[in-house]
Amino acid sequence: MPPLLSLEHIVKVYPGGTRALDDVSLQVERGEFVVLIGLSGSGKSTLLRCINRLVEPTSGRVVFDRTDVTAARGAELRRIRRRMGMIFQQFNLVRRSSVLHNALAGRLGYQPLWRTLAGRPSRVDLELAFANLERVGILGKAFSRADALSGGQQQRVGIARALMQRPDLMLADEPVASLDPATSHSVMRYLEEINHADGITVICSLHFLSLARRYGTRVVALKGGRVAYDGPPAGIDDGRFREIYGEDAVEVEIGPGQDAPLLAKVPTGAEASAAEHLIDIPDR
Amino acid sequence: MSAKYFTARGLPVPAELGPAWRTSWRRWTAIAATLAVLAVGVRITDIDTSRANPEYAAQIVFGQLFRPDWNALFSMEDVESVWDTGLGLMVVTIMLAVVATAASIVLALPFSFLGARNIMSGHPVSLAVYSAVRLLFTIIRSIDILIVGIIGVILFSIGNAAGVFAIGFHNVGVLGKLYSEAIENIDQGPIEAVTATGANRLQVIWTAVLPQIVTPFIALTIYRLDANVRFAPILGFVGAGGIGLVLFQNLQLLRYPQAGAIILAIVITVAAMDFFSAQIRKRLL
Ligand SMILES: Nc1ncnc2c1ncn2[C@@H]1O[C@H](COP(=O)(O)OP(=O)(O)OP(=O)(O)O)[C@@H](O)[C@H]1O
Ligand SMILES: [Mg+2]
Repeated sequence: MPPLLSLEHIVKVYPGGTRALDDVSLQVERGEFVVLIGLSGSGKSTLLRCINRLVEPTSGRVVFDRTDVTAARGAELRRIRRRMGMIFQQFNLVRRSSVLHNALAGRLGYQPLWRTLAGRPSRVDLELAFANLERVGILGKAFSRADALSGGQQQRVGIARALMQRPDLMLADEPVASLDPATSHSVMRYLEEINHADGITVICSLHFLSLARRYGTRVVALKGGRVAYDGPPAGIDDGRFREIYGEDAVEVEIGPGQDAPLLAKVPTGAEASAAEHLIDIPDR
Repeated sequence: MSAKYFTARGLPVPAELGPAWRTSWRRWTAIAATLAVLAVGVRITDIDTSRANPEYAAQIVFGQLFRPDWNALFSMEDVESVWDTGLGLMVVTIMLAVVATAASIVLALPFSFLGARNIMSGHPVSLAVYSAVRLLFTIIRSIDILIVGIIGVILFSIGNAAGVFAIGFHNVGVLGKLYSEAIENIDQGPIEAVTATGANRLQVIWTAVLPQIVTPFIALTIYRLDANVRFAPILGFVGAGGIGLVLFQNLQLLRYPQAGAIILAIVITVAAMDFFSAQIRKRLL
């Protein structure tokens, strides 16, 4: 059986000349939980957005379930997109709309235009929305405005919206980077559950290597737009870690409830003399 | 100075900490240029106060303008309907602004989406449309409303039609720009997220853009309505209808008590409008 997703020599050069992705090739099998790691600016967001063409790759091919995504246009591209859910660091909910409306947005790719314009979702879609909100434990907030929710709750709405698509693939761009460690774990567990229970393949970028080790079945590390590591989480030893994050990086273990960054870069030499008290954390 | 901090460490000294003359040179040039412009301005405008007549002015202002002749507002003599009385004309003037604002909304609303960069980016053709629409807004806005009023009077002859035309036309440019910028200022995240679900462009606008712009659009519209009601009385001075027409005639005929009554009516209307529009916008935001 061919892989669910295959990236072939993806290059992305942004206008202005930044080479965000430099010949990335990757094959993702059904059921995998792939965690993308890498320093800030290494190209994680760009890679995820090339998969559903929110960002147009400069060259290379994306093949999803035997369909060439990069060649798809208009309605065909939208049909592919609705099979890929996506969740975001900033949740990207329509803040002034209700939680229910936000969840229903996940159904737009299946909905005739008049239903959108008239604001009349079908009964089936409505019930699906309630079911998905219940699944992420937020049914009680269905009629609240999205911006009245906490960050963790908003991200669960984001997951519900993506689940509404009944996707085969879930793209998650730093889904827990705006959340505290305890909430991070609760959101990651929902992703784990949809991976296990629904068999949805997950590609998720993360800041914390401890989370990557805990939830990923496979880790792909990007460095300067290239794949620097691709293998099991356990394969990332000290040497690999320094390769990915740079010589000065130190891994910090964090568990739920702890509030500390994974990485603390201690300035050395010249930097240290200028600002001895500064602790610079790579990745914001 | 604190430049020592850098030299002691062998670091390049930031320009801001360089010799003082470099920054002060710029400052003195700016001051000198400003003074020069002012000096030339005062000279060529030839401000002449020698013919001022304070006693006459005081007599007119306090003796006539501030002793309003309320008949100018209420008298039904020589008029065909209540709308031709001073007060009636005030209401007509307000309605003139309301109708003109409504007309400009109808045109500005659809065009503002074409003039919003975030909606139109992604394709060279749509980007060209965006630039054209924004240029159009700028051109329309740059034609002063009094000039449009004069053109309106030539087109429709003296009367309210010219006033509606002037305010309506000018505000297509103003509201179009304000609406477009409001659309550009919305949170892009939901647009990205809804696009990712496989929604088409219209669905994205409907679901992710509209809920974000309703409130700013209402606030901007009220703000413009306020400005238009404020401006409508002045349009009468070029013949473009409303109470200004009558005010202008009274001033020409040196009927100051009548003019005073009309001016008072305008001031009260504008103040009330100002108050209510501020209240409504405060509630909205
Ligand atoms: N729209 C854009 N235009 C120009 N350059 C961009 C754009 N988006 C990203 N880049 C550049 O591309 C590179 C990769 O960015 P990307 O956002 O993919 O990194 P990332 O790994 O997601 O980083 P982070 O962890 O900070 O989110 C960076 O150098 C960034 O500055
Ligand atoms: Mg990113």
